[in-house]
Amino acid sequence: MSSVAETVPTNQFPPDQLLFDGYDPGSFYDEMVAPNGEPRLFTAPMYNKLAAMPLEVFEERRKLADLSYLVQGITFTVYSDGRGTERLFPFDLVPRIIPRSEWDVIERGLAQRVTALNLYLRDIYGPQRILKDRIIPQHLVYSCKHFRREMVGLHVPRDIYVHVAGIDLVRDSRSGQYLVLEDNARSPSGISYVLENRLVMRRTFPRAFELCEVLPVDHYPAELVKILRSLSPRSGERPVIVLLTPGLYNSAYFEHCFLAQEMGIELVEGRDLVVVDDVVYMKTIHGLTRVDVIYRRVDDDFLDPLAFRAGSLVGVPGLMNAYRAGNIALANAVGTGVADDKAIYAYVPAFIRYYMGEDPILQNAETYLCSKPDQLSYVLEHLPELVVKAVGESGGYGMLMGPSSDKKTIEDFRQRLVADPRNYIAQPVIPLSRVPSYDPTTGTMSPRHVDLRPYCLYDGEKVTIVPGGLTRVALQKGSLVVNSSQGGGSKDTWVLRGDD
Amino acid sequence: MMLSRIADSLFWIGRYMERADNTARILDVNYHMLLEQPPDTYKLRWDPLIAVTGERARFYKTFEEASAQTAFDFLGFSEDNPNSIAQCIVQARENARTIRDRISRELWEDINSLYYKIIKLRENNEDLSRFCDAVKRGGHRFHGVCDATLARDEGWHFVESGCVLERAEMTARILDVHYHQLLEGPPVLNEARSHLWMAVLKSVAAYEFYKRENTMIEPTRVAQLLLLDARHPRSVRFNVGALQSSLHAISGSVPGTYANEAERLTGKMHEMLTYDSIDEIFAGGLHNYLTELQEMCRSIGDEITRAYLNYAVTA
Repeated sequence: MSSVAETVPTNQFPPDQLLFDGYDPGSFYDEMVAPNGEPRLFTAPMYNKLAAMPLEVFEERRKLADLSYLVQGITFTVYSDGRGTERLFPFDLVPRIIPRSEWDVIERGLAQRVTALNLYLRDIYGPQRILKDRIIPQHLVYSCKHFRREMVGLHVPRDIYVHVAGIDLVRDSRSGQYLVLEDNARSPSGISYVLENRLVMRRTFPRAFELCEVLPVDHYPAELVKILRSLSPRSGERPVIVLLTPGLYNSAYFEHCFLAQEMGIELVEGRDLVVVDDVVYMKTIHGLTRVDVIYRRVDDDFLDPLAFRAGSLVGVPGLMNAYRAGNIALANAVGTGVADDKAIYAYVPAFIRYYMGEDPILQNAETYLCSKPDQLSYVLEHLPELVVKAVGESGGYGMLMGPSSDKKTIEDFRQRLVADPRNYIAQPVIPLSRVPSYDPTTGTMSPRHVDLRPYCLYDGEKVTIVPGGLTRVALQKGSLVVNSSQGGGSKDTWVLRGDD
Repeated sequence: MMLSRIADSLFWIGRYMERADNTARILDVNYHMLLEQPPDTYKLRWDPLIAVTGERARFYKTFEEASAQTAFDFLGFSEDNPNSIAQCIVQARENARTIRDRISRELWEDINSLYYKIIKLRENNEDLSRFCDAVKRGGHRFHGVCDATLARDEGWHFVESGCVLERAEMTARILDVHYHQLLEGPPVLNEARSHLWMAVLKSVAAYEFYKRENTMIEPTRVAQLLLLDARHPRSVRFNVGALQSSLHAISGSVPGTYANEAERLTGKMHEMLTYDSIDEIFAGGLHNYLTELQEMCRSIGDEITRAYLNYAVTA
C-alpha cells in the first residue's frame, strides 16, 4: 500500500534554519547553484524564493503536494515481491531549470536524432541501403531482439515508424555538455508525470511562475492526437482512435488513462477489440464499432498472439493481418525496437551523418560493444569502473553499476558477458549533474543526481518537443540510478522563455 | 459510444457500493437491536445475518460461532469473504481505477478516499458502530457525487442500474431472513417481535416513514412498505421501477415494449409489484414470493450482462 511522506516534526531542526543553509554544490555540475555557492543567473528568482522560505511553509506545501498525488491515485506498480505493489512516485519540489539558449540546442539535437532514427527504420524495413553500404554490420541488426522480420517490405502510414520517442539525456559534469544516454523508441512512458508535476507545481508555487516565465507543456496531448488523426486509413471519415493498454496491472496504467482522457480517445484493452475480415472493431454496448488508429502501449511481443507470442492475453488475435492489409494504423509502428537496442545506439551518430549528411548536435556517451572482441576484453578488465547494460532491456533492469556493486555481482555479470556478449554494452560511469533536492531528514537541501527525458513527437516532416521533459532524480545520497523502479523520484522541468 | 467493458465496470461500481452500504446497515441495526435482548437469543440472532449475504458455508469454515465479533470480522473485513464490506469497496475501487478516464475526477477521488478510510478504521480497531457509520456515509457521498458530477449518459444509467438492482435484491433478502427468523427461530415475546420488525425498518431507513402512516408494528404493513410502496427509495418496487427507466434509456425502446430479455423481465417484475396485493402475497407465502423476487433479480443481472456487457461476436 502506498503512503504519504512521513510527517516530519519541523521543531527538531534549529529554529531559524533555512533550506539552503550549508548547501555545498561540491565537485559535480550543479544545475541551480554555481561553484561559488551563488545561484546561477537564470535560477536566482526561484533560488531566492526557496532560500527565504521558512521550513514550516515548505513542509506544508510538500505535504499538500504529496497528498494530491495520493488522492488522485497517481501511483506506479513495482513487481519486487511477485505481486504488484502500488507506490507513489516521489516528487521533489525544487524544479530543474533550463535557460532558453541551452534548450534550443537540445531541441535541435533531438529533432535531428529522431528524424535519423525514422530514416534508419524506413531503410532497414525497406531497401536496406545502410547494410549494403556497410555502415552498420548486418549481423548486429538481424540479431536485435526486437528486429521484426514481418515488417520487411511492409508499408506503414506516412512512412512514420517512431511517432513518440523518449530520449534520455544527461549532463556530464566534466565537460558540462549534454550527452544522449539512450533512445526509447518503442513506447516510452513518463509524460503524464511531466504534465501532473507541472499542475502540482503551479498550485504549489503560483507566484514563482509569474516571476520566472516558464514555457508551457500542456499542449502535448493535443500534439500527439493530431499526429494520430493523420494516420487514419479511412479518408473522409472522422477517425476512431484508441489507446491500447495491457490493463490495470501495468506499471504505467495511470498514464494510459490520463493520456486517453486528455486526448479524448477510447482507452481499450485487448479483450475490447476483435478483428473480423482484417478490420479491427471494438465491442460497445450497441455492437461493433470500427477502429482506425491504435496508439498502443503494449509491446510488440504481446500485440497479436497469432503473429508473435502465442498465449498473450493482452493482445488482439489477427491484428497483424489487419495492419498488413492497411486497415489499421499503429503508433509506434511494429519493430521500432531495432532502433533503440543499446548496441544499435552506438551507431546513431553514424546514421545522422549517413542519412542527413549532418554532424550530430548531441553526442553519445562513450560506449563499448561487447560484441566486438577487443572491446569485450577491455570491458572484462575494467568491470568495477563501468556501467554494463543489457541491450534489449529498459527501466533500469538487467544493469550492473560497477563502482557500487560487490564482487559476487560483478563476477556474475562477467559470466553473463562471456556467455552472451552480443547482449551487452558498457559505458564509463558518467558524473551526472545535480540539482538541489529536499532532504527531510535534515530539513535542508542536498545536491542529487538527475537525468532528463524529453518526449519527441514526429509527424513525418518535423519533430515537436514540449519544452523540458521528465527530470528524474536519484534521491538516495550519492546514487546515480534514477529509475522509478530503483528508488528514483522526479522533478518539474522548467524551460525559461529567455536566458535570465 | 460506450465500450462493453466500461459499462461492465460502471454497473459493478454501482452494485459493489450498494452491497457495501446494505451490509453495513444490516450489521449495524442487528447490533443495536441485540444490545437489549436476553443473552441466549443474542447468540442465535447472528447466524441469519450471515445467511443474508449468502456466505454461510464460507463463514463456518473459519468461525465456530456467529457472534457480534465474528460477524463483524466476516462481514466487515474478511479477505476470504468476497462480499465483505472491505472487499466490496476494494472491488468498487478496482473498477473505478480501471475506468478512471471515464468517470469524474471527483467520483474517483471519493471512492479512493473511502478505500483509504476503511483501511485506517481497521488499523485503528474502530468499533462496529463507527465503522458502519463511515460506510453508510460513504454510500451517501457516493450517490451525491454521482448525482452532482456524472453526465446523464449511458454510463450513468449503468451505475444506476447496478445500484437499484442490488438494492432491490438486498431489500428482498433482508425481509426474507428476518421473516425466517420469526417463523423458525425460538419463540419470542410479542414485544421482541415488534423490536425485530422495527430493526428491519430501521436498517433500510424506512422507520420514520412507516410510523407516519401506521401506529402499530404489523408484519403485513412492514412487508407492504418494503415490497410494494412506490414512494420509498428502498422498496423493491421503487428500485425495479428505476431499473426499468434506466434500461429503457440505454436501449432507447419506449415504455410498454422491450428490446431485450433484461427489459422484458424487469417490466414483468414491475407489473407484479404494482398489481399484487399484500394479502395475496401472504396467502401464497411471503417466503415463496421473496424467493421469486430474488431469482428474478439474478436473472435480470444475467440478462443485462448478455445484452450489453459480454456478448458473443461471430468472426
